[in-house]
Amino acid sequence: MPGARARAASRTRGVRRWHLVAGALVLAAAAGASLFVGVTDLGPRDLVVGDDREAMVFLASRVPRLVAILLAGASMSVAGLIMQHLARNRFVAPSTAGTVESAMLGVVVATLLFTGASLVVKMAIAVAFALAGTAIFLALLRRITFRDVILVPLVGLMFGGVIRALTTFVAYRVDLLQTLSSWTTGDFSGVLRGRYELLWLAAVVAVIAYTYADRFTMAGMGRDLSVSLGLAYERTVNVGLAIVATVTGVTVVVVGAVPFLGLIVPNLVTMALGDNLRRALPLTALSGAAFVLACDVIGRTIRFPYEMPVGTVVGVVGSAIFLLLITRGRHRAR
Amino acid sequence: MERTSRTGALVTALTCCALLVAACGADETPQETAVGEDVDNPGEAADEAADPDPEDAVDADDAEVTVEHVQGETTVETEPEVVVTFDVGTLDTLDAMGVPVAGVPEVANVPAHLEEYAGGETSIVGSLFEPDPEEVNALDPDLIIVGGRSSEAFGELSELAPTVDLTVDNTDFLNSFGEQLGVLGEIFDREEWVEERLAVLDERVGEVSALADDAGDGLIVMTSGGEVTAYGPGSRFGLIHKDLGVAPAVEDVEEATHGDAVSFEFILEAEPDHLFVLDRDAAIGETGEAAEAVLDNELVAQTPAWENGDVHYLDEVVWYLVPTGLRSVETMVDEIDAALR
Amino acid sequence: MHGELDVARSSAAPARGAATTTRRQRRVLVTLGAAAVVAVVAFLLVDISGDWGFALALRGRKVAAMVLVAVAIAVSTVLFQTVTHNRILTPSIMGFDSLYVLLQSVGVYFLGAVALANAPPELRFAVEATMMVAFAVVLHRWLFGRHGRDLYVLVLAGIVFGTLFSSGTNLVSRLIDPNEYQTLQDRMFASFGSVDTRLLAFSAVVVGVAVAVAWASRRELDVVALGRHPATTLGIEHRRVVNRQLVLVAVLVAVSTALVGPITFFGLLVANLARQLLGTFRHHLALPAAALLGIVALVVGQLVLERVLGYTTALSIVVDLIGGTYFLALLLKEARR
Repeated sequence: MPGARARAASRTRGVRRWHLVAGALVLAAAAGASLFVGVTDLGPRDLVVGDDREAMVFLASRVPRLVAILLAGASMSVAGLIMQHLARNRFVAPSTAGTVESAMLGVVVATLLFTGASLVVKMAIAVAFALAGTAIFLALLRRITFRDVILVPLVGLMFGGVIRALTTFVAYRVDLLQTLSSWTTGDFSGVLRGRYELLWLAAVVAVIAYTYADRFTMAGMGRDLSVSLGLAYERTVNVGLAIVATVTGVTVVVVGAVPFLGLIVPNLVTMALGDNLRRALPLTALSGAAFVLACDVIGRTIRFPYEMPVGTVVGVVGSAIFLLLITRGRHRAR
Repeated sequence: MERTSRTGALVTALTCCALLVAACGADETPQETAVGEDVDNPGEAADEAADPDPEDAVDADDAEVTVEHVQGETTVETEPEVVVTFDVGTLDTLDAMGVPVAGVPEVANVPAHLEEYAGGETSIVGSLFEPDPEEVNALDPDLIIVGGRSSEAFGELSELAPTVDLTVDNTDFLNSFGEQLGVLGEIFDREEWVEERLAVLDERVGEVSALADDAGDGLIVMTSGGEVTAYGPGSRFGLIHKDLGVAPAVEDVEEATHGDAVSFEFILEAEPDHLFVLDRDAAIGETGEAAEAVLDNELVAQTPAWENGDVHYLDEVVWYLVPTGLRSVETMVDEIDAALR
Repeated sequence: MHGELDVARSSAAPARGAATTTRRQRRVLVTLGAAAVVAVVAFLLVDISGDWGFALALRGRKVAAMVLVAVAIAVSTVLFQTVTHNRILTPSIMGFDSLYVLLQSVGVYFLGAVALANAPPELRFAVEATMMVAFAVVLHRWLFGRHGRDLYVLVLAGIVFGTLFSSGTNLVSRLIDPNEYQTLQDRMFASFGSVDTRLLAFSAVVVGVAVAVAWASRRELDVVALGRHPATTLGIEHRRVVNRQLVLVAVLVAVSTALVGPITFFGLLVANLARQLLGTFRHHLALPAAALLGIVALVVGQLVLERVLGYTTALSIVVDLIGGTYFLALLLKEARR
């Protein structure tokens, strides 16, 4: 984050270009690494002169994994960004509003009631739960008159905690704690051709989010103002809600929960770019994708041939980066 | 300060009410809960209760035996009548021995053949890691058995009655299991029975090892939440490799026992001739159903195990929940035997 | 429920003269005291059968542990909220709990579960407390460093620390033997089932001293609650006071988690409820009220766990479920006015 505060206006544009270039470079490097890191020994040469098996591994395992990471990373970050705007609060993200926990409860319910059900059924249930949970949270927010910046996410954490307690309660009784923990730590090790395509749904939804970006920005100014500007406020909020819930539900079912993504990435981008959603959205998606990708490659190599779940790596690396940024104190929070 | 007298009266009234309610509650039969039947223990003198001395529990004409176990030595009367076990594996063994068990912990998933212990005659004495000393004490047990998850409660339970820790060492499963069985045999004066069963078991293990010699190699995996973890010879399922002689498909699987997350590429590259699968999602429903859905993909399909139909779904309850029971171990050996034939 | 809910207000009401206590406040305190007594008595006597002496001794130990933990958590939360000038932050939200769990898992990794359980509690406690205090000091640098007054950054940092610690725990737990992992998992759930008597006496002394220190500085704290600048003008060495209180918080959190393990929302719940019931921030009221509320909540929670649910779940789950729901309901009810 270079530049002095005094040149904030010009800096913003400079930072943005610098960011995009750096982000794109990191992304490209990490994507290349991702394609050639794995248990099967597979280098770029093998793609040209490889046999059927190597081609199969590449197409059935490596490429899907890369795509899944990019989709999940980008869409989760975008979901967090939208949520920040809708709740008019930087701390509100799927992980601090009970959305992730609700999706988790949905997964547990699905596992219990439809043990052999296909992924799509589980996902639908998870999305439904995430939707319901987020809607309840936003309803709570509407009912609560005070809007202390810190209070809102803490109500969210509280709400999420209640849902999590309920989930744990159920899982505890039917001895599903271990299964539950595999959903709570995001992990791309199970991604294969035919197993991640549902994530495209999250990507589509994120693109829809882009078309709505300006409306979300407006909605973020508050209800009265946006209505007076002629915005269909309720509908906009509902669309945002559906986007966030779908993205969360889908990623939790396919990958599991990745900590932080929806909270930290949008916050860092917003710190650099300010509050315009349309401008921040592409960079948020890019940074989220690059970050998760880098962490997943680390997770794959750190204990080769075994995998370290990406959720854990993101937790450690993300916290470290974030704390570093704060201590360097080169930004203004407001 | 004249206000406080009124509130003071209120407090007194409330406290009296509470005492009354509590007293009534104590007289009535306990509520119907998941705790099951409450064992009433009338006529027991209550004075020595605060810190019961194990010696008192032993009648003079009872023989005693001192056994060694994981956490030291304990002197127990032989053929103790009232037995409490916090280790479900031991429960299975005692059930096979025909020894009555007075108290067991609350367990989420009891194997079918042990369901009779989940309520009815048997007291529930807390959970696996949180014993309910009152219930235990109410039974006035002659012997308490802990193991595995419950071994942390050893110190606390030792104060109530002679306690032995029968944790089985996973890194040397069969020998360790045999030792623990020996301890039980000593205590219940069933050494011959134990020896017989162990001899039969050893023979079976020999047979299976012979089969394993030319059955190729194997990989143990567990599926949970759509993901796969692998287990090596040093793991809790290591007896497949170490005792039953199935060669590990991956040479350098660490002794890391926790189960490591692996990708399907890992399974593909390991090229196992046999795949032993534990399904952790089958809490309810058919074992293997969920696991099969996870493993049924084009990478695993290329392994010899999948091509030859040598993917074996192991009984989750036996291998995962009650791995240290005598019948469980026998079942495990049988399952591997059937798998390798 | 009387009193105005004004959670958003994050500075104390200006002190009006001496430490006055209104009739209503006194009534609230007395009622809470009575409720605590009732809860404790009920816990001691409900469903008692067979061996009275044994049962009472055992339940007495449990209740003593619960009272200690309730007081420790309540007091530490109130202090923490005072020095951070924020009614929503709790030590556990700022990552203290996750730090404890991380320390536990690292301990299990290096020593093994049984060895850890049998280690001298004083030593274990000393190590845990030291780490917690160190963490508190680091946090403090956040509080009063360059970006000291930026709450936004502070809370984010707290959540980040929490995630960092729990991810670290996750990392370590993958390297632990599965059986040990299970005992570790059991430890992640707070439990009063097996409280070490030695540890109990030791904790009682520590909590007693810490609470006494906090009580002695209650007026100072009232002034600190006004904010840094006013406090300094009124002749309080703001920084020194805050430092001392943070050390207290760390010690109290260490005691409570060492005794029973982490309970997430508990502190937030009792500290805020206490202030709401009393309609004041004054520490001579808030501290005892929070502590009494804590006792009621924990004892009733454990009672439900033991007698209604029959140990089929863990206390923290019960407390989070009931407490969290109650808190949310309360917010809604107040908002409807």
